[in-house]
Amino acid sequence: MEQLKPSIQSQNTQLQEAVILQGHEQQSLIQRRITEWLILARIQFTIIREAWVWIFIMACMFPLTTLLFLKFFTVDPTPAVMTRIITGNMLFGLIVMGLNSMAQEISWQKHQGHFTYYSSLPIAKVNFIFANLLRGLIMSVPSFIILAMIGQLAYGIQFHYSWGLVPVLLLTVFSVVGAGVLIGFWSPNHQLTNMLVQALMMFISFLTPVMVDMDQLPAILQWSAYIFPTTYAAAAMREVLISGWSGSVAWNTFALLLFSLISIILILKKVDWRVDK
Amino acid sequence: MEMIYQLEHVNKTYKKGKVVANQDISLDIQQGEILGLLGPNGAGKSTLIKQMVGHLAPSSGTVRYRGASVQTQTKRVAQEVAYYSQEPHALTSLKTWEALYFTGRLRGLTKESARKQTEELLERFGMQDLRHKLLKNVSGGQKRLIGIGTCLIGYSPVMILDEPTNELDPKKRRLVWDLIQERNRQGVTVILVTHNVLEAEQVVDKVAVVNHGRLLAIDHVSVLKQRVDQRMKLEITTSLGESEHVSQCLSALGQWTQIGENRIRTLIEKQDASYAIEFLSKHHLPIQEYSLVPPNLEDVYFHIDDEQHKPDQAEVV
Repeated sequence: MEQLKPSIQSQNTQLQEAVILQGHEQQSLIQRRITEWLILARIQFTIIREAWVWIFIMACMFPLTTLLFLKFFTVDPTPAVMTRIITGNMLFGLIVMGLNSMAQEISWQKHQGHFTYYSSLPIAKVNFIFANLLRGLIMSVPSFIILAMIGQLAYGIQFHYSWGLVPVLLLTVFSVVGAGVLIGFWSPNHQLTNMLVQALMMFISFLTPVMVDMDQLPAILQWSAYIFPTTYAAAAMREVLISGWSGSVAWNTFALLLFSLISIILILKKVDWRVDK
Repeated sequence: MEMIYQLEHVNKTYKKGKVVANQDISLDIQQGEILGLLGPNGAGKSTLIKQMVGHLAPSSGTVRYRGASVQTQTKRVAQEVAYYSQEPHALTSLKTWEALYFTGRLRGLTKESARKQTEELLERFGMQDLRHKLLKNVSGGQKRLIGIGTCLIGYSPVMILDEPTNELDPKKRRLVWDLIQERNRQGVTVILVTHNVLEAEQVVDKVAVVNHGRLLAIDHVSVLKQRVDQRMKLEITTSLGESEHVSQCLSALGQWTQIGENRIRTLIEKQDASYAIEFLSKHHLPIQEYSLVPPNLEDVYFHIDDEQHKPDQAEVV
């Protein structure tokens, strides 16, 4: 059998590399990363294209149950209370996506062995995460919009839509995504991921001024709230929706930007998806 | 020839050294070689290749790719080494053509090249009609082919394939071996893990036999076969439940290995062949059939494994 094997001993290395590199795109690193992200985003999109009807239905469920909750349990709420509850729920949806869904998705893919495919490819880890994030955004933005519509139509609240909402919305998600990704990557099993993110999500959603005003929290939580991005997200989101972009929104958005940078640095420095010690 | 991989005293242990996956493995792989990693389930083959692609860090020792540690250049390894694992497919929500095309694009191919290579691979796999079918809706064998296709697309200079022909029918297995040989002719270095020793024998240049986490032997197929050159393989099918009894009765002929529920095998010296047949015909043992044939690579593998002492460590994965 040995004699049948092709002899490659005499082949020229440069010629081999020319054959191998034929058809490869010559791009700058930035172009390459953008192309890569677009392809990864398309792969993520294929995951939801089959189930978009269910995704839409589920996206409607959250705001509809919130609407029912408001109708049944609030007696003559003031516009301020309604605004607080509705914006809090809009924000809650984003936190669920950025923290809970991202952690669970990363953890699930890790424990299913899907990383083996992705980490075998010459792609940037951060691109893979942001492609996952895009899918999460596509899945959660409908509920965000529906809640805003319900707030306007059912309760007569006037929201102010401006371009300032876009960075606030994106930075809100980015600021919590680092924690979600870290939990997803580090968690030794999927069950633990679920428990950890549920606990953390409840804490940063309900024990920071997302659903309630800062002065409604106990003194110690008023202090601890400042170390969580959700505090700044809630303040920025509420104000930009009620009165548009302002100095206070800019300040809170800047805080969110810092949290987002910390998130990205943590992902880049602390998460190694290829080498498992 | 450039050295592609150099493994030096690689050890991989878990649970503070209680579980040993790889023990003191050293081997070199040169450019253009096809190396077959042979060994039983749990021998430590997959752990070894995970260290070669940088998905696992060795507990001690070094895995070098083109002269530098894999751990310090995981991006380069990902760029140049295509890895097919046994893990579940990450792309099941994609159509078959998308799985190939997107992988090609992620490997850096232009749109045109990715399209061209996708079409070529689908044609080779005989899956053009299934191009718009979701990967989760095709058969296990077709999924495997697409998985192998994700390794083939982009012409990586090194391919590492973990059990590439598992679950494939004979025709598709032949196709995969052909594709591996074709790529090798173009200069691609191939490292493959397989249980299919007989088929691998026709493809591989070198064989590394791994068991209990140790490298038992590594050499060219012809050199390894010389170890059993003066021997013949005697394989016996006994009546049901009689294999142990028969192997005890025939212990004078050699050390018997159970290879099936009622099948046993041993290697005997060529000059003892006629004596063995005479022995079998004289003694009225519960034997249904027997064969005496020259050994193949699989027998070499069993022979090497039999020669080795089991490790002292309590637990081995």
